[in-house]
Amino acid sequence: MATNGSSSGAAVWAILRKECRSEWRTRYGLNAALLFSVTTLTVVSFAVGRLSDRTDLLSAMLWVVLLFAALASLSHAFVREVEGRTMTMLRLVASPTAIALGKLLFNLLFLVVLELVTVPLFLVLMGGPPPRWGPFLAVLALGSFALGTSSTLVGAVIAQTRGRGALFAGVSFPILLPVLAAAVSGTRAQWQGGAVGADLRLLASLGLALLGASLLLYDHLWED
Amino acid sequence: MSAAPAASPTLAVALEAEDLRHRYGRRVGLERVSFSLAGPGAVAITGPNGSGKTTLLRLIAGLLRPTEGRTRLRVGDAEVPPAERRRWIGLATPDLAFYEELSVAENLSFAAEARGLAAPAQAVAETLERVELAVRGADRVAALSSGMKQRLRLAFALLHRPAVLLLDEAGSHLDEAGRRLVNRVVAAARREALVLIATNDERETGLGDQRIELRGRGLGDPA
Repeated sequence: MATNGSSSGAAVWAILRKECRSEWRTRYGLNAALLFSVTTLTVVSFAVGRLSDRTDLLSAMLWVVLLFAALASLSHAFVREVEGRTMTMLRLVASPTAIALGKLLFNLLFLVVLELVTVPLFLVLMGGPPPRWGPFLAVLALGSFALGTSSTLVGAVIAQTRGRGALFAGVSFPILLPVLAAAVSGTRAQWQGGAVGADLRLLASLGLALLGASLLLYDHLWED
Repeated sequence: MSAAPAASPTLAVALEAEDLRHRYGRRVGLERVSFSLAGPGAVAITGPNGSGKTTLLRLIAGLLRPTEGRTRLRVGDAEVPPAERRRWIGLATPDLAFYEELSVAENLSFAAEARGLAAPAQAVAETLERVELAVRGADRVAALSSGMKQRLRLAFALLHRPAVLLLDEAGSHLDEAGRRLVNRVVAAARREALVLIATNDERETGLGDQRIELRGRGLGDPA
């Protein structure tokens, strides 16, 4: 059996490519996420008009739209493997950690694509004031990182449980709440001219803590 | 008929089970079993439905953690812990499913790349030839018949030329040509690997030099 000597990295890369190919073929998550964000922003824009002077409301709304648009797909990364009975195949070709890292990278890439469409549309339709691009993009990046790690971890934990829908809501709530609170606070601060350093540190800490917990947990998640 | 890929260096394989037992909740998946096997060679595992043939293969593959007892696998001079067994073990089992939206070749390429094989494209091409599935390589898995999916399971198990090949009901869904293919695959693999064939089909049990008969009560009886 000849291997290229770095099978963990190869496995993560292979899983990321497989996820992208599967998503491209099925459009399982991206179409639904984009439909949600475009529809929501259009409807709210028609209903309440532009909210240029309500940066507190804009900040909350941006993250609520991103959360709900992305969550269904992010949390189903592992559920799809269980329901499609492909988890056995995955476990036979890669370690649990490699599987989870591949899924996490795909989820982060998914968020980037979603945000590339949603954020410009949001700024145009909702009439958000021009952001301070450095702080704004930093909050967006670290918020997405924390959102991606948390939903990937929770998705992995609940994938093989019964009643996973209810469990996902219950487990996600205490994890997502501080992530969203910090992301909304940072987004509002950059629009109001305040400092975003504390929010960025909190988002980075949450993301790294969740990533660390994930790396410790993944090897034990799928032992029957 | 297609030839097996060039032989890899054959390593001595030793597989032991010590007082191995497994439960699924309150149900017994595998009654206590102990054995010691050496490879290359072929061994048939028989027993009534629910006696634990599939469970035993999953325990050996490291997909399940035993409730009691343990398995030990040595390949060459090295002991292989359960978490690392996927590198050395090929498993074809009826519950092995593939990505239906991807083609046959894409599924195998993914497996080869994830396993870190040095030449994944070559491994995929050779293995598809070996199971006589090359002409369907570009077809999506969703378009395959159950017999063709079974050939794909065999290809998946053979892809990395494992030191231990675990075949669970290898002939299921296969026609006579497919069963002859299984015979050829086992005949070739047993020269360089330890092959375990879990079956109740006499045509397959005859492929083993030895037989392990599981004497569980069958049908997953409560403990």
